[in-house]
Amino acid sequence: MARPASPTSLIDLDAVRATVLPNGLRVRVLREASSPTLSYATFFQVGSRNERPGITGISHLFEHMMFNGAAKYGPKQFDRVLEARGGHSNAYTSNDLTVYYEDFAAEALETVVDLESDRMRSLRIDDEALEQERGVVMEERRLRTDNSVHGLMEEALESLIHQAHPYRWPVIGWMSDIERISRAECEAFFRTSYAPGNAAVYLVGDLDPEATVALLERAYGDIPAGPAPEPVASGEPEQRGERRAEVRYPAQGPSLLCGWRTAAARSPDAAALDLAQVCFGVGESSRLRRKLVHQSALATSVGVSHGWRIDPGVFSIFVELSPGVKVERVERRLASELEQVAERGVTAAELKRARALLRSSILHELGTHHGLAQALGQAEALLGDWREAGRALDIYAGVTPAEVQRVVRQYLAPSRRNTVVLVPERGP
Amino acid sequence: MSQVRQPPVTRTRLENGLQVVVAPRQGVPLVAVRLLVRSGASLDPARRFGLAHLTAEAVRRGTRRRSGPKLDAEVEMLGAVLGGGVDEDAAALGLSAPLEALPRLVDVVADVASHPAFPPREVERLRRREVASLAHDMDEPGVVADRATLMSAYGEHPYGHPAEGRGRDLAAVRRGDLTAFHARHWRPSRATLLVVGPVEAEPVLAMARRRFGAWRGAPGGELEIAPAASAVVPAVVIVDRPELSQVQVRIASAGYPRSSPDHAAGLVAGAVLGGGFTSRLMEAVRVNRGLSYGVRSAFSAGRAGGLFSFSSFTKVETAGELVQVALDEIARFREGGPTEEELERTRGYLCGLYPLSLETHEAWAEKLAAVELYGLGPDEVTGFDARVRAVDQAACLAVARRWLPVERRVVVAVGPARKLEPQLSRFGPVRVVTARSVM
Repeated sequence: MARPASPTSLIDLDAVRATVLPNGLRVRVLREASSPTLSYATFFQVGSRNERPGITGISHLFEHMMFNGAAKYGPKQFDRVLEARGGHSNAYTSNDLTVYYEDFAAEALETVVDLESDRMRSLRIDDEALEQERGVVMEERRLRTDNSVHGLMEEALESLIHQAHPYRWPVIGWMSDIERISRAECEAFFRTSYAPGNAAVYLVGDLDPEATVALLERAYGDIPAGPAPEPVASGEPEQRGERRAEVRYPAQGPSLLCGWRTAAARSPDAAALDLAQVCFGVGESSRLRRKLVHQSALATSVGVSHGWRIDPGVFSIFVELSPGVKVERVERRLASELEQVAERGVTAAELKRARALLRSSILHELGTHHGLAQALGQAEALLGDWREAGRALDIYAGVTPAEVQRVVRQYLAPSRRNTVVLVPERGP
Repeated sequence: MSQVRQPPVTRTRLENGLQVVVAPRQGVPLVAVRLLVRSGASLDPARRFGLAHLTAEAVRRGTRRRSGPKLDAEVEMLGAVLGGGVDEDAAALGLSAPLEALPRLVDVVADVASHPAFPPREVERLRRREVASLAHDMDEPGVVADRATLMSAYGEHPYGHPAEGRGRDLAAVRRGDLTAFHARHWRPSRATLLVVGPVEAEPVLAMARRRFGAWRGAPGGELEIAPAASAVVPAVVIVDRPELSQVQVRIASAGYPRSSPDHAAGLVAGAVLGGGFTSRLMEAVRVNRGLSYGVRSAFSAGRAGGLFSFSSFTKVETAGELVQVALDEIARFREGGPTEEELERTRGYLCGLYPLSLETHEAWAEKLAAVELYGLGPDEVTGFDARVRAVDQAACLAVARRWLPVERRVVVAVGPARKLEPQLSRFGPVRVVTARSVM
């Protein structure tokens, strides 16, 4: 068997061709020709974090507006032209970012550059499109939140954890705000948040780097630089004691969601928190799955997550209870599992397992053009440098058991816990 | 147009009947291992719906050599997660891990498939967990809608129950049911091992012989499932969930098996009508009326039959309008078929995206497994472009007229029956059922 390549040789980051156009648009291009496809990602540094009460959800609503036509390609044209050329597009909005991407057959590159630069230059924002997307987004909210046990609990948790920070409102926005956001607010949002200086383009796949950069310069070069975005009010008072909330809903059984405010993506603690996440909840032999699901059968499922964000993010544990089990019992058990790690740490074998799983997941991500483009973009948006995408493996390799223990003790303390309990009730 | 680069594929049948497929392929230093066993949910005995699924879960809970926890730990130490799943036709075990772990992965998969111990305590916990998970699924309106649709459309056919099974059946399963099902259906002669990644065929084959060679099972050919009916019994079913503010809606009619000559035209017709962001249904439902966030229609196909299904959701007040718009669009398509512009765009879309569906070793392992399962030709991948580009308007129209629903269709809605019944009764006599009855 061949030996595996060393982690850093997986993506040769020296091969990334990086430049900044005079209008501020950052361009990063990487040739990777193992399949005849390209992935094209446009990252705008705007998300629910940049909103304010009254216009919560505008970043996400605007993501929808971006598919409704610009000067050259009118309404309904974006996807028609792209699909005809063998591509597809989609977008997502997070607390921190709005990201558009196209995955397509390599020969469609010029078409995609034309489509993307057209809408950054000259998006059309009219009342008809706004009303239509408003309706669509309201259905999306009903789907993901209002009629979803998980959605309701997540929304309640974020609002508990963040008292002052804009992370307290959901990315999709409050329904009353989605209903009222005006066209003028959308236009102002576009001028600032979608200016080239607030964006970066990542292109990975079967391409010629020099020619591609020249193509991007021609396509985007004449878009005027916009005003600088408003600073974000990112303060948050220290939490001094557990906070609790109930969600009452006609569900089959109770569930429990606990969350803690942790560290920013740039913090050196972010990697140790990832490893803690895997030790607690990824895989059947993780601590919580082993103990709560397999050994004690208190739960039917357990999920642990830790997302990287620009400002301190959230570490959360979701537990779906087995029939007849009391929530209090699971809460006590969960607290004692966390306490054990805070006091005694994790074993070297646990850490080895966590590193191996993270390594595989990074290799999987870097195994596709789409995954590579996203990894570069996420690294630059959250950590300030796309090169960080290639360092993930080394960063995890350097974390010690003592560091995992420290971050669990420091961030996942009982006095910093936020608890949401789903209380099943009879339907109407 | 770009072509998918197909890796060389070596297919070898071992003496015990196991088919071994190796596809050496450059790329990231990961390797994908997949074991496909033709023991799907359509083989579930009466009153034991979910047995195939439970068996595929239970084999991973311990073998003669490894306890369940030891197995989990061993696999995860390698950076892999042993996944599995069952559909109507087959069970699959799959994992992918860094290349150096390959010998261990093959050993684990062989051990799990051929020597499961079905430890009583583990099996009992697993069974209870599956019953409880099904109960929690009742809180997912989309899952409830999919289950009700499958049951209504296929009726008594072996495809007419979801692979996850039924709560009351799973509650009655005993360990003996699992050991008997495994002995009868998990045989090397009905299994295929697939390995894809930066490997060489010969050493992998030698490894497969060593690890799987001793797997014995009664010889014997396929247990064929009778073909599904070519038309569904019309019905309008409301699964009553009074608390919901949004209704999950499905419309389904009979389709064709995966090996049907209609497959390519069905793929194109299904995409023009309800695939991607520019389909007719997307335009009618989302773009022009803002009725929903998501709309899809497509043919799905197994060995013994398939379905055409439409899937969407909308607020309670507009459920009837959504069904009407969907049926009108489907009728319009049956009448006139796609335009030349739609055809050209959709063919470009499907052919352009095809290489993206085969970017990873895992995706290739899954595709090559499908080739084995459905008995597809050696040009399944390389001939994709040509087959799709050969689909013309007449072929789309023929498929549409044969399979798209007019009268012979089921309409399923999950939401408050009191408000839905007046809206949906114009589509046929309404039957209101509880969510529990479909779980």
